[in-house]
Amino acid sequence: MTKNSVLVKLTNIFREIFNDREIVINNKTTAQDIDNWDSLTHMLLISKIEEEFEIKFKLKELNNLNNVGNLVEIINTKI
Amino acid sequence: MVFTSFEFIIFFLSLSIFYFSISIKYRWKLLLISSLFFYGLIKPIFILILLFISITIYLGSILFEKIHFEKYKFYSFIIILLITIAPLLFFKYFNSINQYILTFFERAPSKNILSNSWLILPIGISYYTFMAVGYITDVYNEKIKAEKNLFMVMLFISFFPLVMSGPIERAEKMFDQFRNKLFFDYKKVIYGFQMILWGMFLKLVLADNLSLFLNPIFENINYSSGKTILLAISLYPFQIYGDLGGYSLLAIGFSSILGVHVRINFKRPFFSTSMSNFWRRWHISLISWITDYIYTPITFFLRKNGLFGIILSLLLTFLIAGLWHDATLPFVIWGLIQGVVLSLEAITKSSRLKIFNKNSLNNNIFFKVCCSILVYFIFSFSLIFGGPFESLNECLFVIEKIFLNNESFSFSKIELLKLIILISLVLFLEFKQEYYPEKLKLFRNKNLLIRWISYLSIILFIVLLGVFSNDNFIYFQF
Repeated sequence: MTKNSVLVKLTNIFREIFNDREIVINNKTTAQDIDNWDSLTHMLLISKIEEEFEIKFKLKELNNLNNVGNLVEIINTKI
Repeated sequence: MVFTSFEFIIFFLSLSIFYFSISIKYRWKLLLISSLFFYGLIKPIFILILLFISITIYLGSILFEKIHFEKYKFYSFIIILLITIAPLLFFKYFNSINQYILTFFERAPSKNILSNSWLILPIGISYYTFMAVGYITDVYNEKIKAEKNLFMVMLFISFFPLVMSGPIERAEKMFDQFRNKLFFDYKKVIYGFQMILWGMFLKLVLADNLSLFLNPIFENINYSSGKTILLAISLYPFQIYGDLGGYSLLAIGFSSILGVHVRINFKRPFFSTSMSNFWRRWHISLISWITDYIYTPITFFLRKNGLFGIILSLLLTFLIAGLWHDATLPFVIWGLIQGVVLSLEAITKSSRLKIFNKNSLNNNIFFKVCCSILVYFIFSFSLIFGGPFESLNECLFVIEKIFLNNESFSFSKIELLKLIILISLVLFLEFKQEYYPEKLKLFRNKNLLIRWISYLSIILFIVLLGVFSNDNFIYFQF
């Protein structure tokens, strides 16, 4: 799967979790850029990503996430 | 030697002069020696705990980098973690457990077991243990590299402005500053003085005047009317804010003068529009530590359970936060109140946001202030359990008295008026900062005269209204 198609799939997940059809994400997007992306919704998002991509994250990987770009890279190593 | 004492001011001034007169490369070493001296003044033997924790995390972090087999690395992490928190658990909970044993045996014929409360909790042990745990976890998670200099680790753990009550800082930020940034910076020195001035005001004027007014009420609840207790509980958040918030500003200020930037610990908490917003503004360094090292692992473990998993994580996290304050039933209830309120907010979050957006309430200052008042009273109520009363019976007695006792107020009206003026002043300045940050600047005004009038007014407040006999800080006990 290319980075772009991961990003497209991720965008849909973001839209579903944050209940906002207009969300647009890119590699530089951080939690600061999206309303409602806080410690409460973060794990719902992670769990949904695991389910959709059929992967499993390690806690260590999540601790080092800085932006959506990092997330895409980690997903790419697992699919 | 507390920050507000004359001895400390002399200690800090002499240290600063010597500090800036020596070469920058020796400054961190001087900081280490002064930090150990400072902590040793409380009780020399307590230095051993600092050394024990420093050596444990120094060796542990190097060990993590040497082990490449994930499973062994995890086991060694758990062992090092347990050794690191062992002194905290021992000093914090031994007396409580001993007390339970004593209470149990009082019912039995023999009472000849360990006497109660022979251990004194080393001041600040929670804070430097949390910093140590943060460090080893970050190294284990490969977020940062292990520090190769034991003395640098020791300085991180014992840095005197933070050792007694935080703010809880992260290793990643501190090592770099200790190595490369300890130079004289005029802007940082001025910022430091401003923080110290406002911190002294919050502690000596706000918190200590409130303490003179509130402590007699809390200590004599049998003789205080329901309304008096209600008023006292309603004012108590300002006492803690002045006390810990003031202390934190002093720590930030003294660090800044030495060239070390330390994170803020409070960000106008009484203007929070929800409880979750409150916990992002109150004791920020502790809550951010709890979020990273307790809440996140729990919620990660429970992530397959959706919203239920998040609610359970919130409840468990605040239960642990309550137990950290003290292993007593009232603090468990305090933690649960926070957990339940936060859970309710999590459940209703999206529907609340929809209503707020639909009615354009997000930018309505009146609505926001109403929300802040509600948050303030929920927090005040929770402090009946997480505050000055020791047993559950006392807490329940207080609630019963508030609702059922109709006697009138019994306190000095002039004293109350003084406190209300002080609180209004703090709230006015924070309201301005919160909603109109660019208007009526005082400490940061470009006009030198306005800046100095502001400084002198605060100094005048401190000299005229400051309480200089109280050398205690509420959060030292934790």
